[in-house]
Amino acid sequence: MQLRYVFTELRTGLRRNLSMHLAVIVTLFVSLTLAGVGILLQREADRTVDELGNDLQILVNLCAEDDPSIRLGRTNCTGGETTDAQRERIEQELDASTEVESWDFMSKEEGFERAYDQAKRKGAEAAFEGEDPVVTVDKWPAAYWVTLETPDEADGVISAVEGLDGVSSILDQREALSQIFGIMEVLRYGSWIGASVLLFAALLQVANTIRLAALARRREIGIMRLVGASTLYIALPFLLEALVTAVIGVGLAAGALAAFQFWGVERGMAEQVTFLPWVDWSDYQEVLIGLFPPGIVILGPALTLIPTLLLTRKYVKV
Amino acid sequence: MIRFEKVTKKYAGPGRPALDQVTIDIDKGEFVYLVGQSGSGKSTALRLVLRELRPTSGRVYVAGKEINRMAGWKVPRLRRQIGTVFQDFRLLPNKTVAENVAFAQQVIGKSQREISKVVPETLELVGLKDKADRMPDELSGGEQQRVAVARAYVNRPMILIADEPTGNLDPQTSIGIMNLLGDINQAGTTVVMATHDHGIVDQFTKRVIELEHGSVVRDEAAGSYGFQH
Repeated sequence: MQLRYVFTELRTGLRRNLSMHLAVIVTLFVSLTLAGVGILLQREADRTVDELGNDLQILVNLCAEDDPSIRLGRTNCTGGETTDAQRERIEQELDASTEVESWDFMSKEEGFERAYDQAKRKGAEAAFEGEDPVVTVDKWPAAYWVTLETPDEADGVISAVEGLDGVSSILDQREALSQIFGIMEVLRYGSWIGASVLLFAALLQVANTIRLAALARRREIGIMRLVGASTLYIALPFLLEALVTAVIGVGLAAGALAAFQFWGVERGMAEQVTFLPWVDWSDYQEVLIGLFPPGIVILGPALTLIPTLLLTRKYVKV
Repeated sequence: MIRFEKVTKKYAGPGRPALDQVTIDIDKGEFVYLVGQSGSGKSTALRLVLRELRPTSGRVYVAGKEINRMAGWKVPRLRRQIGTVFQDFRLLPNKTVAENVAFAQQVIGKSQREISKVVPETLELVGLKDKADRMPDELSGGEQQRVAVARAYVNRPMILIADEPTGNLDPQTSIGIMNLLGDINQAGTTVVMATHDHGIVDQFTKRVIELEHGSVVRDEAAGSYGFQH
């Protein structure tokens, strides 16, 4: 295929509809940035749940060997590490409670591995390593992750389990977490609603641009059809125009998101709020090229190319 | 080369079909006038040959192929075998004469080398060799129509379809265009020309097919225009 015509047309097409193309680029840029922030917030929420549990969960720590609760004067753990019989008793209580939706047992090995991983991410793994580490598997308590039916009803199950032998402590971060998740949710939905509205606007602008371009070129298109140019050949300048605007829009959004990740997260929030796990560059990469939810590198071109394909089929039908 | 078998074309809405059970057979190398009043179905017939339209019933064959059931992606290949000329020339105003002719080759992917060989040849054939670099609006109507003929013929089609090619031209200029179409026909291209121009039809005697209300009412090997309107 001789492409000289196609590229000449692409150049004149971009120049002819410059203001429309700029509008598409700006809208794409802003909407993709918002969509990207939405995805980042989603991943931030996932990370927090991963590390701290969600706002429906409480953690029932069992006794470890030489449990710290003994030094606090409590007697639940004086029998040493929780026995199978004690565990059975606790599980009965959890099963019996109407406030509990489900529960998961996490062995001391699993708990230790998880804590070690988290510490490594924060650069605090020293306590887990060396000749005589402060934290060892045997000092780590096994635990139950208890998921509640509703976030604000846990008193019953807490009082039922709290006094049992073999229960060292109960970790209840629901209140703090529910605030954090509340903020994240508002921001996330806000950015997604903003992104969808703008993406819709971008779609309309793309459609409009193609209509104008098809109108401006209807004589050429008519002649091309008559002399037997293929549909692809006729549609190619339109598709390339769409692709160029998408690439620029995606590039700008990727830059803005990188700036957000660097100055907003790494040099900003992550330094202020240290108890939360923060999204890192692997999450940024997912935001760009992830498949589900689709990253902006997929989303941007899809948003311009699909309407272009559909509309050119309509306008330049052979 | 072109065969209509009981072709009926009905457009949406009430009323008579534009073509009603039309059967026509045009051989390779023929020169045929399609005459009839406005609305008699001439343009519909031409558009069926180009497969810009599909018949409601019946079959259209072009170069031995039944084109009404041809897959969409094959249509461009069909059209490369057909050149088309219109009453209103349809040149691209921002391209020179040579570029207009070359355009028909570029968009079907011909090589630059072939274009630079064939375009001047074709312009010479239509008598516009020395106006290759002019813009269309610097040319007379007859010259513009010659450019259009050159564009239609540059890919050496088997069939040339002309829809009222002399409709916008004075009689003297029309004769020039007819001579040109005659030359192209002599070189082996089948020419089908829809026209209202009885002077031309009577002067350049060829086969005449007359349509009336979508039906063939006359088909004469060496006919005259035949009716007044």
